[in-house]
Amino acid sequence: MKFKTKMEGDVAVVHISGNLMGGAESNDVRNEIKRLLDDGGRKFIIDLKGVPWINSTGLGTLMAIYTSVQREEGILKLTHVSDRIRSLFMITKLLTIFDTHPTLQEALDSF
Amino acid sequence: MTDAASGVDELVLPNELDILERVDSLAGKYGKLAGFDDGPLIEIAIAVVEAVTNAVVHGNDLSDATQVTIRFEWSPGTFKLIVHDEGRGFDLDKVFDPTDPERCMGVSGRGIYIMREVMDSVVFEMGKGAGTTLTLKKAV
Repeated sequence: MKFKTKMEGDVAVVHISGNLMGGAESNDVRNEIKRLLDDGGRKFIIDLKGVPWINSTGLGTLMAIYTSVQREEGILKLTHVSDRIRSLFMITKLLTIFDTHPTLQEALDSF
Repeated sequence: MTDAASGVDELVLPNELDILERVDSLAGKYGKLAGFDDGPLIEIAIAVVEAVTNAVVHGNDLSDATQVTIRFEWSPGTFKLIVHDEGRGFDLDKVFDPTDPERCMGVSGRGIYIMREVMDSVVFEMGKGAGTTLTLKKAV
């Protein structure tokens, strides 16, 4: 799994590619969001276009990010959520927790 | 014989998260051979990934000195997965409901719940020093 961050105005867009299934890379994403929060960022989009699936550990990573952003009164949105990831959100009853958008542009426009 | 409507495939794999992508792919392949449609196939793949994640992370405690044994069994209308790790097991009575409003924001503890939600049968066998064996079953 890899990721890169791109600023779209005051919105930090974190593009992830590869399956989010725990391990050191997942911690790197969490640390990246923490760094952005420390720098004053409050608007975030995680782009899951390159993520076919996640496991419960990856889901835990998203929950940890969501919680850290909420704690700082920031906003987190997700885009390009695959059917399989959406199924996992439904199974775990977290679908309503995450603000999801079909495309990156729609996610940006929703701020 | 892994392209037939019935079959068995057993693998002994290193204890690392990278094996998840391989077992995910095999789960989809064998589930399809068993006759499952797209929706149930996603559920099978989700459960298989959770079962192996559980073995690698919690069973074998991410130790690269251990292995995970995975056995797929499929036949028309049925899918079965057996995962064995070398860990000491755990207390099933201490597994909580991660959808509980007081727990739902947690970052861990969802794997067993997920498997139970999407599979027909989820059975753990834990013996002292013998590791833990998890068996998942699903029928069309």
